[in-house]
Amino acid sequence: MKPAVGDNIPEWVMESVSAERMRTMAAILRDPNPIHWDREAVAALPLGLGRRTINQGPLGLGYMVNMLHAWAGPGSIRRMVTRFPQVVLDGEQVVSRGIIRALREEYGEQLADCDIWLEHAERGILLEGSATVVIAAGGLAKGD
Amino acid sequence: MADRRNVPPREQIEALAGHRFAGGEYTVAHWENFLLTECTGATLMPDGMVHPIVLFHLPIVGAGTSITDMFALGQAESDLSIMIESYDWEFLAPLREEQAYRVEGSIQSSERCHTDSDDIYDRIQFRFEIFSADRSPVARSIITWHYTRGML
Repeated sequence: MKPAVGDNIPEWVMESVSAERMRTMAAILRDPNPIHWDREAVAALPLGLGRRTINQGPLGLGYMVNMLHAWAGPGSIRRMVTRFPQVVLDGEQVVSRGIIRALREEYGEQLADCDIWLEHAERGILLEGSATVVIAAGGLAKGD
Repeated sequence: MADRRNVPPREQIEALAGHRFAGGEYTVAHWENFLLTECTGATLMPDGMVHPIVLFHLPIVGAGTSITDMFALGQAESDLSIMIESYDWEFLAPLREEQAYRVEGSIQSSERCHTDSDDIYDRIQFRFEIFSADRSPVARSIITWHYTRGML
């Protein structure tokens, strides 16, 4: 499929953000922050988040990576800039979405500059940013 | 108003700019890539390519530092006091399992900031460069964190 500016990237859904996966991530990253593995630590914060652990930033970013890979293929990402306006909590369903903002060629590669974001049905945009991906000669997975 | 008794002097924060980490090497093991990829809900990428989220910890550990050390450098009040502003990741070539990468890292900028409600935080930006064995640039990571002061 030939891409065009304004095309939506097919969404990628994480059905339920997992506290167990956060613990695995914390161990691999040697991340000492208890917000990722201790629900009581989160409950004690004056943020009103309840007894739910907070997803690591790179994990939420990873959901957007997965969307881009499903669309443009593994290894297609050239750059991602991600900001974190809201936290992602265990048990939440989140959806990665994106849209093509520009198409250009650089060093012989066809590139798509995209806006990307991670969304929760009630809380809105949790992560947001931009990505540049390579459009392979064979095209892309179909969007809407 | 937040408690400002334990806020580090502005000069100490600004002096962090230019700090260089020791540098070193890092190899992403297969088990590590497998677990990280599974944590994102994806399946392994082909040809030994690693999931891009390795670009968080590979540079940190490879540069000879750690999340704990980075918190301490900015005199974080606690592990809970760090907020992420952004991660800026650039991929110049595929990263693969079981290959050693050379990493260099530094603090690109460090500054005292104020929120609209006059709370203090320190904005520290870390820059890491990843190179292949033949010294070709492979990837770059810029981490920008806010070290909140008396806000939590």
